[in-house]
Amino acid sequence: MTTPTLSPALLLRALPDALRKLDPRTLWRNPVMLIVEIGAAWTTVLAVTDPSVFAWLIVAWLWLTVLFANLAEAVAEGRGKAQADSLRRARRDTMARRLTGDGEETVAASELRQGDRVVVEAGEVVPGDGDVVEGIASVDESAITGESAPVIRESGGDRSAVTGGTRVLSDRVVVEITQRPGESFVDRMIALVEGASRQKTPNEIALNILLAALTVIFLLAVATLQPMAIYAKGGNPGVPDTVALDGDGITGVVLVSLVVCLIPTTIGALLSAIGIAGMDRLVQRNVLAMSGRAVEAAGDVDTLLLDKTGTITLGDRRASAFVPVGGVGDKELADAAHLSSLADETPEGRSVVAFAREHHGLPERSPDELAGAVWVPFSAQTRMSGVDVDGRTLRKGAAAAVADWVRASGGDVPAELAALVDGVSASGGTPLVVGEAADGAARVLGVVHLKDVVKDGMRERFDRMRRMGIRTVMITGDNPVTAQAIAAEAGVDDFLAEARPEDKLALIRKEQEGGRLVAMTGDGTNDAPALAKADVGVAMNTGTSAAKEAGNMVDLDSDPTKLIEIVEIGKQLLITRGALTTFSIANDVAKYFAIVPALFTAVYPGLAALNVMRLHSPQSAILSAVVFNALVIVALIPLALRGVRYRPGGAAGLLSRNLSVYGLGGVVVPFAGIKLIDLVVQFLPGMS
Amino acid sequence: MSNDVAGIVFVGSLVLALAVVYRPLGDHMYRVYAGTRHARVERVLYRLIGVRPDAEQGWAAYARSVLAFSAVGILFLYLFQRVQQWLLLSLGFDAVKPDQAWNTAVSFVTNTNWQSYSGESTMGHLVQMAGLAVQNFVSAAVGMCVAIALVRGFARRKSAQLGNFWVDLVRGTLRILLPIAFVGAVLLIAGGVVQNFGGGDVVRGLGGGQQVIPGGPVASQEVIKVLGTNGGGFYNANSAHPFENGTAWTNWLQIFLILLIPFSLCRTFGRMVGQNRQGYAIAAVMGVIALVSVGLTAVFQALHHGTVPVAVGAATEGVEARFGVVDSAVFAAATTLTSTGAVDSFHDSYTSLGGMMTMINMMLGEVAPGGTGSGLYGMLVLAVLTVFVAGLMVGRTPEYLGKKIGAREVKLAAACFLVTPLLVLTGTAAAMATESGRAGMLNDGAHGFSEVLYAFTSASNNNGSAFAGLTVNTVWYDTALGLCMALGRFLPIVFVLALAGSLARQGHAPASEGTLPTHRPQFVGMVVGVTVVLVALTFLPALALGPLAEGIHS
Amino acid sequence: MLPTWIRHHLAALRALLLFTVLLGVVYPLAVFAVGRVPGLAAKADGSVVTVEGRVVGSSSLGQSFTDADGKPLRQYFQSRPSNAGDGYDPTASSAGNLGPESVVDSTEAPSLLTQVCARSKAVGELEGVSGARPFCTPGGVGAVLAVFGDRAKDGTVPRPTRVVSVNEQEGVAKAPFAATYRGVRVELARVGEDYAKGLVVPIKGDAPARPAVPADAVTASGSGLDPHISPEYAALQIKRVAQARRVAPAQVAALVRNNRTGRALGFMGEPAVNVLTLNIALDRRFPVNGAD
Repeated sequence: MTTPTLSPALLLRALPDALRKLDPRTLWRNPVMLIVEIGAAWTTVLAVTDPSVFAWLIVAWLWLTVLFANLAEAVAEGRGKAQADSLRRARRDTMARRLTGDGEETVAASELRQGDRVVVEAGEVVPGDGDVVEGIASVDESAITGESAPVIRESGGDRSAVTGGTRVLSDRVVVEITQRPGESFVDRMIALVEGASRQKTPNEIALNILLAALTVIFLLAVATLQPMAIYAKGGNPGVPDTVALDGDGITGVVLVSLVVCLIPTTIGALLSAIGIAGMDRLVQRNVLAMSGRAVEAAGDVDTLLLDKTGTITLGDRRASAFVPVGGVGDKELADAAHLSSLADETPEGRSVVAFAREHHGLPERSPDELAGAVWVPFSAQTRMSGVDVDGRTLRKGAAAAVADWVRASGGDVPAELAALVDGVSASGGTPLVVGEAADGAARVLGVVHLKDVVKDGMRERFDRMRRMGIRTVMITGDNPVTAQAIAAEAGVDDFLAEARPEDKLALIRKEQEGGRLVAMTGDGTNDAPALAKADVGVAMNTGTSAAKEAGNMVDLDSDPTKLIEIVEIGKQLLITRGALTTFSIANDVAKYFAIVPALFTAVYPGLAALNVMRLHSPQSAILSAVVFNALVIVALIPLALRGVRYRPGGAAGLLSRNLSVYGLGGVVVPFAGIKLIDLVVQFLPGMS
Repeated sequence: MSNDVAGIVFVGSLVLALAVVYRPLGDHMYRVYAGTRHARVERVLYRLIGVRPDAEQGWAAYARSVLAFSAVGILFLYLFQRVQQWLLLSLGFDAVKPDQAWNTAVSFVTNTNWQSYSGESTMGHLVQMAGLAVQNFVSAAVGMCVAIALVRGFARRKSAQLGNFWVDLVRGTLRILLPIAFVGAVLLIAGGVVQNFGGGDVVRGLGGGQQVIPGGPVASQEVIKVLGTNGGGFYNANSAHPFENGTAWTNWLQIFLILLIPFSLCRTFGRMVGQNRQGYAIAAVMGVIALVSVGLTAVFQALHHGTVPVAVGAATEGVEARFGVVDSAVFAAATTLTSTGAVDSFHDSYTSLGGMMTMINMMLGEVAPGGTGSGLYGMLVLAVLTVFVAGLMVGRTPEYLGKKIGAREVKLAAACFLVTPLLVLTGTAAAMATESGRAGMLNDGAHGFSEVLYAFTSASNNNGSAFAGLTVNTVWYDTALGLCMALGRFLPIVFVLALAGSLARQGHAPASEGTLPTHRPQFVGMVVGVTVVLVALTFLPALALGPLAEGIHS
Repeated sequence: MLPTWIRHHLAALRALLLFTVLLGVVYPLAVFAVGRVPGLAAKADGSVVTVEGRVVGSSSLGQSFTDADGKPLRQYFQSRPSNAGDGYDPTASSAGNLGPESVVDSTEAPSLLTQVCARSKAVGELEGVSGARPFCTPGGVGAVLAVFGDRAKDGTVPRPTRVVSVNEQEGVAKAPFAATYRGVRVELARVGEDYAKGLVVPIKGDAPARPAVPADAVTASGSGLDPHISPEYAALQIKRVAQARRVAPAQVAALVRNNRTGRALGFMGEPAVNVLTLNIALDRRFPVNGAD
């Protein structure tokens, strides 16, 4: 998916929506902006009854303030619209071949119910979300994931889920529908990117309460100012009426301007855009959050549970050393291991071949070159594989199995083998023993050391998490010794070895009882309880429907390390809100210095000293403050959409940085901004 | 030693003394409130009151007890004043008139001690010592109860209970206030404060004129007036009166006693939440604001700008010669930074900006260090609001002391914060908009407005000091200010206790690298900043029409 | 069984009554009892001072040293101005409570500025020094003009059309303290005329910033019962008192030093002279002739 940046074209496209949002019935959801709109309407009436250039300028900029706020929201929503449209196309007009007792019938996809079974063949579109219950097929999921490479979906196991709107490329599968009508994955996704189903998140609600309280305070400060102003004016009968203050107190237009400048309009205008944009950022990374709450919770995560296999390590073990025994030469062992693995198509087997080639200089060989070779595949009974060629019999496999085989073949097993095998196990590796029988004699050649390979860059990632205050726990079915070794190599903080699904659940419960928020990824059906229990459960899109239902996020790329990005997006969302709130409040300081002297200098000349910006006239000062207040909304739209830059680190450092930028900056910037605007507007008529 | 140096040493010695007692007193108060053993006399009291001391209360029950105790206190004090002419030691004074009696009853029960009466010409000795002084003790103890309940809210996990109000009340009174008060009272007598039951002997002075030497159980009441941050003077002139505050060192002692419990409670807070450094952080916030405020007040007074002070050559109007301008300014700052409201010099005649500082101190919500208990809970509410904004900026749901600051917590903290600005501003506006309100002003123009603003600021924040130029003994002001005092006291208390209940119910989120640290200078600075900015934004327009208009000359 | 809320309030009432007995009766009586200890008792009873067995006042309370007409008795050091009743009345301790910009006299009461100016003038005359102060007219009222005319943007009146000296009344003052202001003739104020429309402009004049009459001599204390004056004010009075008592000023000065208290512990408060004890010491050492 694309990442549209804010362009004039985008603004223009959002304009009609922004205008539509002026409807008070829409705007009441945003009380701060509703107050601005009411103020704008009232000043319009005042300007009509008592017109002046100053009044009309204020009126215009008050309306612009509301419009800019709407624009911010409309732009944020607009970015999701394009994605929603393409998703809708995927959903449209799909027909389904529903299996009935004795055959199949064609129905519209929208008529499918949970439990229905449908047939999908190559070239057809999957009509709804479900699990493959029969067959195997390659599926093009690009409509949802944007990834063009087809994926395999098969019945049973953890790769059974298919999504409505994707296309089957080969073969034929039977899918059992798991969604309710109209609640398909794509439906939810559309609602999500359009912001239609957006509910306020807990922190957003709390922030709204704070903003409401601030609004009340400022409304009150301005409303109660009126009798005080009347008294001040009345006590100085020699002072002529000004545009801001007459015998009836502060004039309506100026009073509204003061309110609008003081109430937290900046954050009020951008708050919903920030939320929509945060979800949007997730969608752009192909993560689908089922609720904003989950995104916020991601920012709070204390403990991250990560499956070892596939997340921390590459899915497969790799050969990392050949250890000969009993005077066998390195080369001899390497050659035997190589030979025995040539036809072994398992990843382990291939890694033995590759290792022998890379580290022992063995030539590339293909199994077909060896005429008369008999390949013995691995079986669960023998727990060995190997080759019989040129009178030699080579076997490679589990230590006990190969040792038994050597003894049975008349050879001796050297005492040192046991120690070697244990050593490999202790270091977290898996030992494969290579044995040879030739000419009626058998011997053990040595040990192939297979080990897990930690993915590149994991240690750095975990370091980063640690700096953010997040503890990483590796979950593995390995024994504690193996787990320990990999944990140390990968740099995770802790591990859970020999973990069964219920252990995972218990660990989550334990962490949560300690007050910690837990995030985890999972794909299998047996992960579902843990996914549901975790505060942030990210299901892999390749996983089962059960897992996807249980989690509160789905990663379409099925990349378990995505959790880290999700956490960062969650944090960024909160930081952006906090930073803009701080900025908004800090702005008020400068506005006071513009407006208060403008109001009262005529009555109390000494207050001119507060006009530190040396603004041209009371009119230009008030107008400049109002204009700044409106323009700052537009100026901050890109930041609201992009989010405040997040650099992982401790809370103290983060706060210092954000405080100096948005707190201190929030105090300083408007002084400069209002002054600059004043330098321009002072040339307008009616400004002196 | 020049006045400036003496002033700096004066402030420095106070800081030092408070630092010395911070730990021992804070630890003592911790043991008082955290202890499980009841003294024998306390057991007797609980039996007589009819409460089970070991039964804890939820926040609502705790609040009901606070309100019941206060309501009974108001009623009792009202009746006491209304029948004083029939009582012992009435000195021949009549019953206090109804509106004034209501105002005074509310005033003392709410720890405000706003006085629309003049002590030496209104109240008999018995009403003073058995009515007013008793409330000086218990209203202070109630403030501490509420603060401790809030701290328990932070300290406890998954609990519905906040402690037992009656136990906290009795212990705070008997184990903290009473012993300090007793020692303090004796010290004050040594400094010339009277303690007798005399009715005022008439003597003929050197010049031949007659003079009444007033009497009264002053020392015993004076000490709790400052220790409990009450502020209601035995005499009209309050701590300026030589019989209340006879020497420069009793003046020092009174300031020390004013600040003693509010600062040391931070230690108690730290102990209770298990992290002393959190207590230091809150004390640091209070200390920074207090020092800046004291410094500014003293500097404005010493610079004596303004027409009359320049004509005089010093801001000595309303200031006692034995204290001098600087020490008086320190007292003025201390009394308004806390909810005391005692005065040793008259703020009405201060320089405009010096007088403004006393107003700003109260507008800050009296949190630096604030009243006994009320300062701590007010400051913790501000800390909660700060944590919320700051917490968002570090990318987490805000947490303070392991408690999540969610919608409910923000709602209660914001409501608590809103109460006093609401009362101050609407009260002042109502006074300016009504004939009865404007009628009381002795000064006109900006200064007259300042007097009204001061009165509502003082009453709503439960301070009790005054720009005394306002004639407040009218039905209108007695009623309006009485309402401000009652609402300004009890609404925040209910919100704070509800907040405590909400916090106590939560579990505890352990701190990590990603949690906002709330014990570092950074956080201290941020709480100071939030407090100052919020207050400045709320009150700047009003201040512009009062002290700023008067004090800034072009 | 009573309803819960009544039981609640009854418990509260019982608690209050217990506290009233304990804190309102037992505690003050205990403090009273300790206050009977020798050394404390005198202070607890008001630090009264006696002359020849007759109580003449309290060393803690200031008093007036004036005759029946309120004129200062020249043989006594004078206390500060007082707002307690008619002056030093302990049944009505009080401050003036006028603000720092109280500069325009009203029909009911003089402004604080005028009070200061008048006191300064009176003390100056009594002590034989100049009573001039900034913002004061030579006549001892606040030098304040009401300036009429159009207001400029900064609130000032650059081109006055009429100027009135608001604290100087026709019939009381002969001529305004300044003849002209910005080229406009200054008028005296007329009783009953409203000058609210004018801009109030106090005129600083050319009096020294540190006038001969010290600050505490022209300002009232907070209590109105201040027993002290500043050493400067005491020094100013030495000559006059010495004259009245026909002794050398140095001898009086020595007594002043005896009755002067420094800062407590060297840094608390300000040095001050107790007027009552000083005057008693004066009477004892240098009694005034009955004929005087």
